[in-house]
Amino acid sequence: MTADVAIVGYGRTPYSRAKPGERVYTVDEYLAWAADLALQKAGMSKNDFDGQGLGVAHAEAAHTVNWSASVAETLGISPQILIRADQGGASASAMLIRAAALIKAGVIDRALILGADTPLSIPSAAPGLPLSPERTRGPYWDFQGPFGLMGATAQFALIQTRYQHQFDVKPEQLGKIAVTTRYHATLNPQALFRKPITLQEYLDSRVLSDPIRLLDCVPIVNGGLAYIVTSAKTARTLTDKPIYLKGFGETNNYYHGSRTAPDVTTTGFAKSGPAAIAMAGITHKHIDVFEPYDDYPFIVMMTLEDWGFAKKGEGGRFVAERNMNFDGDFPLSTDGGQLSGGQPGGAIGGFAPLIEAVTQLRGEAGDRQVKNATIAASCGFGGIPYGRPGRSCIALIFGTEA
Amino acid sequence: MLVNTTTNKPLPEITDQTRPFWTAAKEGKLLLQKCTRCGTAQFHPKPWCVECGCRDIPWVEAKPSGTVYTYTISRAVAMNLAGWQGELPVLMCLIDLDDGARLYGQVVQCKPEDIAIGMRVEVVFEDISADAAIPKFRPASP
Repeated sequence: MTADVAIVGYGRTPYSRAKPGERVYTVDEYLAWAADLALQKAGMSKNDFDGQGLGVAHAEAAHTVNWSASVAETLGISPQILIRADQGGASASAMLIRAAALIKAGVIDRALILGADTPLSIPSAAPGLPLSPERTRGPYWDFQGPFGLMGATAQFALIQTRYQHQFDVKPEQLGKIAVTTRYHATLNPQALFRKPITLQEYLDSRVLSDPIRLLDCVPIVNGGLAYIVTSAKTARTLTDKPIYLKGFGETNNYYHGSRTAPDVTTTGFAKSGPAAIAMAGITHKHIDVFEPYDDYPFIVMMTLEDWGFAKKGEGGRFVAERNMNFDGDFPLSTDGGQLSGGQPGGAIGGFAPLIEAVTQLRGEAGDRQVKNATIAASCGFGGIPYGRPGRSCIALIFGTEA
Repeated sequence: MLVNTTTNKPLPEITDQTRPFWTAAKEGKLLLQKCTRCGTAQFHPKPWCVECGCRDIPWVEAKPSGTVYTYTISRAVAMNLAGWQGELPVLMCLIDLDDGARLYGQVVQCKPEDIAIGMRVEVVFEDISADAAIPKFRPASP
């Protein structure tokens, strides 16, 4: 797969917290807005995708069953191939892998990949919460909600408690991740929370579900993102800065151990991270920028371990020892991540790390630009299985050279 | 989502697949699906054995005891209904049952500072509707 395809454009709409008085955009409007930004960046038109590929991530605000086909109609695009991912925060990454395979097979030459959601504006099953009707039906919900489980924060807190039982990670180490993403957000005009925080403020923030604090939690927003992937040949006709997909790895429904009593302290990145690195023909030290799926700092730390940057149990120490600022020795979440940048719902947030990796490699990251970055890695992490972390763990490696 | 409007807590949608679990819970029994081919006990309910794919997975009564695999102390209601407010902090655990499955379960009759990985617990049932009860857990009697 190495360098057969490249990303030639991307777009990210402004995010909204849907505060009273704000213009509330629909999911359709965000899709068109994100697509427009990506098309402008690539110098392309929507009509360039007639007969080609269109990818659409499932959204909680999806208002029909056949969502990707409906979006094609909404946008007036007549693709040959529809790609749809319903892998939550891994959807953006998954669709790149699907599009790359279709392009390599010669079925299509290019694909426009879209995701948008308005989790703050959908009808909620519980007043005041982004709890969509689709999250509250079926046996997955029936054996969690009625049992008193408090959503993703409680689910990941359970994993973190177990991790802390088996290994050592200090609150200060996780706090360093939160403080770093906030620092990067101060350098990114598109980030949601741009006021710096201190480690002490992190440590003092209210515990929501031990050991997870308020400043461990990702803020939900409405918004849309998009990117365009083409064959390497076409990419070179469109831009002098194509960003090549160098490697990928994907796991879905990974169990570390048995299916009924797995060890929850290792995620599917333990397979997909090394697989992506091997496919790219690089080693860890070649990665100039790392864009994890940062819904919680603890997940970032586990991701770093499972990719192999640190041994299991030493992720906290790795975080403490490295400088994760954009101009440090391990630039991480350089756009402010989702923690400070905002998460357009569990279904769409995964576009952000991918797009920031591309932004950095194109040298378009402004005040947060990592100097001379040529290799970047990004993560998709989607869905929370019953009693475990991360249904889908996708690792991507991008490069500036074919 | 079905809601118990008296308690303002969510209720399960009971299907023919899951009814034996809820009915047994009302009678004070904890049921798991057990695979007749490979012996795997699993939770929550699945349409076949997740280890071997066998669809012959009758409900069997499980020993009502287990061990805390991990825990969290939920101090705020999130992604759930406000009725849980009255039970905060909720000691939510993953429990490894002695008979082999792992499930989410609230530990009650326990102070937050006493909850610990490895704690032995036993099932107590709480009625949540006319048709269903849920298993909760309490520290095992010595």
